[in-house]
Amino acid sequence: MQVFTLLVKPNTSITFTFNDLEVSAIPGQSVGAALLEAGDRVLRVTRFENKPRAMFCGIGVCFDCLVVIDGAPNQRACITEAKANMVVRTQVGGA
Amino acid sequence: MKPEQVRVVVVGGGPAGLSAALNAALAGASVLLIDSNSKLGGQYWRHLPETWLEQSELHLDLDTGLLLISAVANNPKIEIWSGAEIWSATHENGATTLRLITKGVEKIITTNALVLATGAYDRTLPFPGWDIPGVMTPGGAQSLIKGHGVAAGKRVVVAGTGPFLLPVAAGLAQIGCEVVELLEANSPLRWLKSFPTLIQNLSKIGEAAHYIAIFNKFGVRPKFKRAVVAAHANKDGELESVSIAKIDSNFNIKKIDRVKCDLAAIGWGFTADTSLAGALLLKQFVTKDEGVAVSVDENQQSSIAGIFAAGEITGIGGSELSIAEGVIAGLAAAIYLGCKAEISDDHRKTKAKKHKFADALINSYPVKSGWQGWLTDETIICRCEEVKYSKLKFSVIELGATDSRTAKLLSRCGMGMCQGRICGRFVVDLVANESGISPSDISDKERISVGNRPIITPISIELLANGE
Amino acid sequence: MIGAGVVGASCALALTNAGLRVLIIDRGPVASGTSGAGEGNILVSDKEPSPELTLALRSRNAWFEVNEDIGGGFELDGKGGVVISRTESGIAGLAKLAKAQRENGIDAREVNAAELRKLEPHISPTIEYGVYYPQDAQCQPMLAAAQMIRAVKQRGGKFIQGENVIAINSTNGQVTGLTTNKNAYASPIVLNATGTWAGDIAKLAGSYLPIAPRRGFILVTVPAPELIFHKVYDADYVANIASGEADLQSSAVVEGTASGTILIGASRERVGFKSEFEIPILRQLARQAISVFPILKEVQLLRAYRGFRPYAPDHLPVIGEDGNISGLWHAAGHEGAGIVLAPATAELITAEILGKTPFMDPTPFSPKRFMNQDPSAGVHVAS
Repeated sequence: MQVFTLLVKPNTSITFTFNDLEVSAIPGQSVGAALLEAGDRVLRVTRFENKPRAMFCGIGVCFDCLVVIDGAPNQRACITEAKANMVVRTQVGGA
Repeated sequence: MKPEQVRVVVVGGGPAGLSAALNAALAGASVLLIDSNSKLGGQYWRHLPETWLEQSELHLDLDTGLLLISAVANNPKIEIWSGAEIWSATHENGATTLRLITKGVEKIITTNALVLATGAYDRTLPFPGWDIPGVMTPGGAQSLIKGHGVAAGKRVVVAGTGPFLLPVAAGLAQIGCEVVELLEANSPLRWLKSFPTLIQNLSKIGEAAHYIAIFNKFGVRPKFKRAVVAAHANKDGELESVSIAKIDSNFNIKKIDRVKCDLAAIGWGFTADTSLAGALLLKQFVTKDEGVAVSVDENQQSSIAGIFAAGEITGIGGSELSIAEGVIAGLAAAIYLGCKAEISDDHRKTKAKKHKFADALINSYPVKSGWQGWLTDETIICRCEEVKYSKLKFSVIELGATDSRTAKLLSRCGMGMCQGRICGRFVVDLVANESGISPSDISDKERISVGNRPIITPISIELLANGE
Repeated sequence: MIGAGVVGASCALALTNAGLRVLIIDRGPVASGTSGAGEGNILVSDKEPSPELTLALRSRNAWFEVNEDIGGGFELDGKGGVVISRTESGIAGLAKLAKAQRENGIDAREVNAAELRKLEPHISPTIEYGVYYPQDAQCQPMLAAAQMIRAVKQRGGKFIQGENVIAINSTNGQVTGLTTNKNAYASPIVLNATGTWAGDIAKLAGSYLPIAPRRGFILVTVPAPELIFHKVYDADYVANIASGEADLQSSAVVEGTASGTILIGASRERVGFKSEFEIPILRQLARQAISVFPILKEVQLLRAYRGFRPYAPDHLPVIGEDGNISGLWHAAGHEGAGIVLAPATAELITAEILGKTPFMDPTPFSPKRFMNQDPSAGVHVAS
């Protein structure tokens, strides 16, 4: 998902991991946005039907974009700012 | 009076909250502004981090917003708590206690003068496949662009109803997406009913022209009386195409076509975020679009003295109305605490004018019940708890639920993490329909109860245990 | 039958199965009273040797028979319970209780620290003694009531919701029927299963039942992965039930559910029908839960609810024919044991109504025990 260069993005970036693979984010971006840009749209798998889910409302209301961050489950990727060295994982089951 | 009680507390950092905070401070009050986002501006003035450049291209109105945000941030009488989520609110002896979580700790404050400006979020309707990754709300797609500079897809279908679809489609086009369809469910002729109001709000015509120019530039052609009625996944379980239907004026399907896309941004107006108002037991009412809003008097005061409300939670009406209401609420809250200030006739006239426009909006973009015919037994109704339509129907037809609370207890619709924010509003309609209750017989109490959540946001058992 | 909660639904099912035609009337939907605020406890573990224990033992087994009879659908789970204690006196008391329970047919097995950890890996390391009750079970009470009423309807019964009973009619001390705000219904038998409101209904008939509300709160967590495998509670819980104090009585009660959420209780207070959410009580419940399962610290509270348990001053349920009006029957006042006791209550009252020999002597539960109390003097707090 390439961003049109109407936006001049800063050069700086931070990195975190998603399922042990490195992902870069621009300081200020949410985990969800950074993952989306990296091509990772699916964030969790549901607990009854094992269905993939991604960001839906994008503003922290629907609780669908849940990921595990540094061991803590149920973190909303859309409103959590990506920080350097965060360990993010797909949430399987749980909520 | 304790020091913390001699100030106005404003909840919500969008147009209404910012206006309220600024005007309360200008009237002489100390102000605490609490906002759940990391950056002020709410949804409407969502913007990129300050270190980025050139954001105003993507946002018509951002300059106003940035000015207001700056005025609030630089006002010495305003303290700001960003990234703070309120989990509980109670009112006793004339004062409101707010319990909130910020940076992993709990903070508790009490105030005699509270302004609620918690805004709204996209109104959603279920349809087969709406849970597939790649289906989002227009607000979600837009927040990714405005707040994070990210396009959520390459080939996008924007659909639903309401003027909000226009800036979303324009933004997606400008950031480089191919907007293959822009679908408005209602007929453009509905605007003719509100023509005088439209003329009175000329800025809106200018706004529409701005979007039309963008659509011409990027080859986006809006279509009317059409809707996305199903989404389809590829073998990886992600969005591959949507079914688009020509619909009649009641939203019943007439003809279906398939369109390939990897992003669908679909929304049906807005639902007010009334959790805090519900927790405080404020009087609420049902709006013309079957939504719920907080009842306020001409000074934006709710049914509880000292608690004021402004913006979308008093009735969906857009940013200009929110600002007008915020001004009045901020002044009224300051006056309530004893500040010398006045709410002028001009303030009231501006509000009245914007209110008329908001009413015209609602009349032009109704949601008709034909959407219920788009569902199959397999359609997920409650996303959080993965409740299929067949299970909801069973709870009504076989287990006898005739109201949404009972249906919730028997089917789990609304019991999940979002506590019914997404599904609650339309479960009311589905339950009534399956019970043979006509929509006009759905009680106000039934509609209002959906937004009542004494526990407003999840809080860890540890924080709960350690608090006062 | 007035009342579509778990007790009413159980009685309706038993009466229907016995060949009677049952009409259930409720002013609200199914399980709209206390049954909609319960945890779904089916416990024998908290019963001291007493008529209630006998009732509970039979009733626990009856639940599995009902499950079989109506084809399930209410998450019945024979998960077992674990009662713990950490104080010297608590442990001694629990050991004594377990012994007495064993003598009365309850399977109560003392477990040491290592065995406790096998049952509940996440239990606090400070807990070294408990009693394991394999017979304890759990269900989803709203679904239980709804599924039983569904069976009643399939078998010829009827359920009318949204009608308020305004009069219970009788002639010469014999019930003839009742009147609601919409209709009148004739019957020689009226069964009052209105739980916390049973006293109001008795009054309509010109009779008297001293049933009062005892408020309780429950915390519900977000869906969490399998952390807690049985119903686990602190032995203090048993003392709380028997307490006559009006102040807050609370002790840790924790269990998982079929949907993955964890329920945390339990509190008891006499505050009438005060409905506000009391944050200090929610915090107390959280503290108690963490003390038993420290791992809960990281789990989030998602919602909370409160209910009003119906209790009689002697803490025994009211099951049987009214002392003043014949044909008026009561099945109410089960306090926090409404769910476990429902099927056996239904069996008892069905037998009595049909003039058959009930499985146990129902005298201790008889409403006639209140006959000498003067209604105008208010509720007598026996304990």
